[in-house]
Order: sequence, then C-alpha cells, then structure tokens
Amino acid sequence: MFVKAVSAISPQKTHNLDFEKGDFQVHEGLKFNAFEPHYLDFIPAGLLRRMGKAVRMGIGASMSLIKDYPKFDGIILSTANGGLEDCVKFLNQIVDYQEGVLTPTNFVQSTPNAVAGQLALMTKTNQYNNTHVNGSLAFENALVDAQMVMESHDSNTIILLGAVEEISDYQFNIDQLSHRFKTEHLTNYTLFDSKSPGSICGEGATMFVLSSEPKNARAEIVDVAQITYPTKDSLSIVVDAFLQKNKLTNSDIDVLITGKNGDSRTDHWYDFVKYNSFSQADEIHFKHFVGEYRTASAFGVYLAVQILSEKISQATIKISKKPKFVLVYNHFDGIRHGFVLLKSVLI
Amino acid sequence: MRKVFITGIGAISSLGKTIEAHRSALIAGKTGMGKAKHFQSSYSEKMPFAEIDASDTELKKSLSINELGFNRTALIALFAFDQAILDADLSPSEISDFSTAFISSSTVGGMCNTIELYQDANHFGEPSEFVDSYEGSDHLLRIVKRYRINGYTDTLNTACSSSANAIMLGARLIQTGRAKRVIVGGADCLAKFTVNGFNALRILSEEPCKPFDRDREGLTLGEAAAYLVLESDEIVGTKKKYAEVVGFGNTNDAFHPSATSDEAVGPLSAMQEALRIAGLSPENIDYINAHGTGTPNNDQTESFAFSKLFEKVPPFNSTKSYTGHTLAAAGALEALFSILSLTYSELYPSLQVESPIEEFDFKPITSYQSHVELKHVMSNSFGFGGNCTSLILSKCL
Amino acid sequence: MEITRDALVLEFKNHLITYLNLLDTTPEQIKDDEPLFGEDLGLDSIDSVELIVLLDREYGIKIKNPTEGRQILVDTNTIVEYIIANRTK
Repeated sequence: MFVKAVSAISPQKTHNLDFEKGDFQVHEGLKFNAFEPHYLDFIPAGLLRRMGKAVRMGIGASMSLIKDYPKFDGIILSTANGGLEDCVKFLNQIVDYQEGVLTPTNFVQSTPNAVAGQLALMTKTNQYNNTHVNGSLAFENALVDAQMVMESHDSNTIILLGAVEEISDYQFNIDQLSHRFKTEHLTNYTLFDSKSPGSICGEGATMFVLSSEPKNARAEIVDVAQITYPTKDSLSIVVDAFLQKNKLTNSDIDVLITGKNGDSRTDHWYDFVKYNSFSQADEIHFKHFVGEYRTASAFGVYLAVQILSEKISQATIKISKKPKFVLVYNHFDGIRHGFVLLKSVLI
Repeated sequence: MRKVFITGIGAISSLGKTIEAHRSALIAGKTGMGKAKHFQSSYSEKMPFAEIDASDTELKKSLSINELGFNRTALIALFAFDQAILDADLSPSEISDFSTAFISSSTVGGMCNTIELYQDANHFGEPSEFVDSYEGSDHLLRIVKRYRINGYTDTLNTACSSSANAIMLGARLIQTGRAKRVIVGGADCLAKFTVNGFNALRILSEEPCKPFDRDREGLTLGEAAAYLVLESDEIVGTKKKYAEVVGFGNTNDAFHPSATSDEAVGPLSAMQEALRIAGLSPENIDYINAHGTGTPNNDQTESFAFSKLFEKVPPFNSTKSYTGHTLAAAGALEALFSILSLTYSELYPSLQVESPIEEFDFKPITSYQSHVELKHVMSNSFGFGGNCTSLILSKCL
Repeated sequence: MEITRDALVLEFKNHLITYLNLLDTTPEQIKDDEPLFGEDLGLDSIDSVELIVLLDREYGIKIKNPTEGRQILVDTNTIVEYIIANRTK
C-alpha cells in the first residue's frame, strides 16, 4: 500500500509545509490549536456553514488532495470523538429547551461519519465508505481496512484515508476531569523534561491518498499491528511477531517514531519498547509538535512519510541516516497500542 | 480465500433477552414497540419506543457487575456478547487467542448518560461516574478487558449501517487470513441525544412505525445489542454452523447527509455489489430483511431499488416493525433475524402494514409462513452520511 | 412592542443569517423576494426545519412539519407577512 500524497492541518504549519522546513511553532499552555487555512477560499459557503471544526479540518485537509486525485475507490476516516463540539451543543439545547423545539444541524454534524459522508458528497464517490471510532487505534484500523479494500481489487485502487480530531471545549473539560493534562505551565519544548503526570491537548486532520501502485509514491505502508490492555510480555510478543511476519529483524528498523507525550505515568511503555527491541534505532517524537489526541498516530505516520520522501531533512528532524524502515509506535493511556511499519521507496 | 461461518448468536432487545424469546415474538407477530418504562425523557409519554424491559440496575445485577462507569450501552453489549460466545462454545483461551478479533459498533456509546455528559462537558462540579465512558468505543474496551481479548479490535460508526459494516469487516478479516475468528456486532440504547436528534429532523413517528405502509410517518427508536461469532472454515470443525457469509456490499449514496437519493443509487449499488461478491443473481435471493425504517424517504427509495434490481421482488419484511430502529445494533440484529429465517425455514410477517405503497406491485410479507425453502437471504442497512451496506447469508449444507 | 415592517424584515434576515450560519452574508444581500429554496440561497430540507425552529423561538409561531412549512416559507416577504399575522411573541 503506497502513499501518493499527504496533507495535514495541525498545530504546526503543515498546511503550507513551513513545518517541513524546520519552522517549528512554539505552543504554551494546555491547548495546541491547529493552524487553519481560510476555508472560504476553497470550500463553498453553502457547505462550510454546516461544518463544525472537526468536519472543516477534515474537509480542509482533503481539498488539496481532491484537486489532484478526483476519483476514489474508497473513503475511510478515523476519529475518536467525531464532532463532539456539535454533539454537546445539541445536548445543551436539549437541556436548555427541556427537549422542546430543537435545531437539527448540530445533531447531523455531530455524527462521527459526517466527514466521510461529506467527502463522498463532494467527490461524488459512491464506493466503499467507512468510519472507525476505536479510540487511539482508529487510524490503524482504517489502514487495515484500506489494505483489505486494495486486496479485493485487481486494478489500481486509490483510497482517501485520514484521521480527524478537534479540541472542543467539551472534550477538554472531560479530559481535564479525568486528569489527562499537566497542572504546571510548560511549552512544547519543556514537555519531555517535566516528570509529572498528564500531557497537553492537541488536534488535527491528517489525510492520505493511498494507492496499490508504487509509481510516484512517497513511501510504502507495509503493515499494521495492535494490542489492547497488553502486559509487557504480550506487547513483546506482538512486536516480535510483527517483525517476523514482515521478515525483519530488530536492527532493520532505522527510525522509531514514538507517541511519547510527557506523561510520567505511561511514557515508560515507549522506553520499554525502545530499549527492549529497538535500541539501535533513532528515536523521534511528535506529540511535542501537535499535542496529544486520540488519533495523533496519524501525524506520526505523516511525519514518517515526510521523512522517507525527504520532504523533511535528516538534519531538521535529527536522525543519523537515510532510513529504509520507519516504525511508528503509539499508545493512549497505556491501554491501546498500535504499530505502523513504513518503508522507503527511494532505497 | 477462507470461508466465513456464523457459529454463535446473541441478542437483547425489546423482544426479549434470549434467542427463543426473539423467535417467539417474530412467529407470533408481536411487536416490541410500546410505552417506555425505564427511559427518562419528556418523550416517554408522547411517543412509542421499543425498549429493553430491564433497568440498568437489573442488567448490572444479572451480569454481576459492580464496577462504576458501566453505562447502559456497555451493559446490553456485554449481555449479548456473553450469549453469543456461549452459543459458539468459545473457551477463554480461544477468546484470548491472538487470532480472535472483536469488532463492535455504537452510535450513542456513553452519551446515553445525558445529564452526566452535560455536567462533565460543561465542567459543572466534580467528575461524574461516567466521565471516562462517553466514547463510542467504551463498551468495546470494557468487553476486551473483561475477556482479555488480545487480537484485532475495532469499533465502527457509520450510523444505521454500523454493525452491518462490522459483519462485513469481520468477514473480510477472516477471508484475508488476518483473523480466524471474529465476534461482530453492535449496541445502542435509548438516549435523549438520538430521540431529540431524530425528532429535530422531523423523522420520528408519533405512532409505532409502519414500514412500507402508504401512510407511514417516520421511525420509532428502539434499543438492542446483537453479536455474531464468525469462524473460518479452517477452525470451525464439526461445530454447528448457522449460515455462511457469502456476500457484502458497502457503497455511499453521496446525495445528502440525512436523506437517500430518489434513484436510490447507494442502496441499489450496495445490493448489486453484495450479489457480485456472492457470485449470485438477483433471482437467487429468497428473502430480504429490508432496512425499512418507516420514513417516507427510506421506504420509498428502498422499494424503488428493489423494483430496479429484482424482476420479481422476493418476500421481504422490515423487522423494525418489531424492534424499532436500533441504530448501530440494527445491522447485526437483523442479520440475526435473517439467520433465524434460514435456520428454521420460516418467514415472519412485516407488522403495521395496512395499505402497501401504491406505486409498486409488491408488498411485504403479511403472515407467518413455515416450511419455506430458503437458501440465500439478504439484509440491508442504510444510514446517515449516505452509508449503505447489504449482506448476503447462505444456508450451510 | 410595535415594530415597523422594515425593521421586522431586517430582524428576520439577521435571525436567518444566525440560525443558518450563512457565512459572509449580510441582510442587504438577501433580496426580499428572493426564493429561499431556490438557486441563490439554496436552502435545503434541514434548513426548512431550522426555519421552523426560528419562527417558534423568536416569534412563537408553531408550524407542524416541513411540508406545511414549505408553503409558507417561500421568500422573506411571505415569511414576514406570516409573522405579522401569526406572531404570539
């Protein structure tokens, strides 16, 4: 499965590729908000008016891809919370108006499959359409789904696939009540120095055009693995089986991208995998760039693609050599663990 | 490519808490729609619902659950899941095997706890018991933890076609060798969120829904959880096999967020794709469990799709006339009813039809029929966002 | 409270813009006789429900369903006439 194109709206300047040039944005405080383009430039007002933030970002990130790839054989999205902002706005209406006469737009736009539905509408794609909502494995699930769609076709298959998550005030409140965030003040650059529980909150839409043909590809997504509620033993079994299945040894992995987020309670999983299995690999992180959110691993994979296709230089991202294999490892709360293996098409 | 067999089924809905109870209600033509007893909403007085006859407390007791945060969606999901794995005779080591996958679905998830969500989301006071359980995948996590599921897990949300897509995804995992066994299904309970949402769209009926009736006015919401155990031909051995999953189609209508196109592009192509995968022709289909929500739009467009696809439309019903629209659970629940038809060679009447839709010369099944030879059955689920899924199940010889 | 017809027209258009989140649209850009469900404004079935809610919340007018609504909700002129005749707030 090959990556033909990528697009991201994120808390870094990925929408105009300044991020890739090393122009890293500093964020302070708990919310890393995304840099959003001026949507009216490319989304008709009649459609934009109905879109909550999650949907806007998802559509916004897809627009440049749709220009170059107008026809898809499938559209697959992943999100943990969908349009939670719209959902709670509707909920507030329910309470404020005591279940009286309510406006439906919030309800329609709050459904997690709204982005995939809207993309199908805009591209007139009648083919396969699915939305995965399995928390921090939703993006990995979408990738496997895409692989299976490609395997079922004989000819070149093009799939639009991605992940969307917004910081809604409501989700932020819920996560804060669950002690997910830092209580001290920090910036994204001091995140990994803090030895305290919690992380910071991010958001983003990361979209990919995937193809079964390698021509002009940016990178190859080789395989995906996952496990939920693992022990250190079962996690090691998954890692070993994953490498074996793909006929690789531990030392074949050149770069390990981990979803380390500065949370002292759960970052140890990343240390365990790194030192147990990939001590020789360069390790880089991405959540200090974009914050923590359930489908953040999509950004980790985006970063892997940019590295493999040399859109971001070795010096900028601080890796020691041109990588052939990149492994993205991410978890959320130490509960759902996902692995995505990518391979260079240049070497 | 591996074959996919259904070896276990489990469900809980307004029709009952056992498969026998469900079958009895279907044979007797007894609907589960009526007045809600447990659901707290101003609509409980005004509108019919198809509610599961059990309070959260009763469900927790019957499942021996003491932990906090177990919302109604998770409770009914666990109830049906337990039934399905028992029916398939799965051992704990089989469930924990890395080759056993679990795919569930829900649209409401933990949002059934409206008051707590309102409080937590607006940060009014201390966190509620349910602060960690609002997500659509919460119930899946609880089941994964309880049963130590180590294999592939996934949660889908494509509105009303969610668990039909779960069945399709599970079948593909087995066919492509990614799993040997997959438990698939979904759960949704009555919630102020969906009740008010559908009512705001003016598609809720004030009377019990009348799918495929000329004077139908909208849908009736129900709650349910349903799971199927799918197993590969590689491991099924001599186990009883209810049916084989032979065909599936997932397409998008790409017309409007909450209505189907007049030409029924999505529904028609989903059914055609399912037939293509199954290697069958329309005349091979012996029965259809229609999506049949009772809304003017769906039943018209679905009927139109039937008229275009089938020279002679096979017997069809909407079991939503029994269970109401159970949202994410609908696909799996209705596949389960299709399995009952296949297994017992019988057809159940579509309830509430007084005057069929005049435009078409076919009408739903009017009365119970036994000793009906059924080989291939189709089950349809069409949802918001244009998501259309059609499944074909075949009798095992 | 007495309000002139012109003021009511402006008030209604502002409500329309808010309820339907009509981006980059000012009241001046909505012609009084422009069909709401026509080519230019291009409102759809979800909007017709939103309009029914608008009329209920702002003017206390209850319209039973979108079908009934479509007869009334033709353009700004017809709606304002309807409001004047039927408002309870």
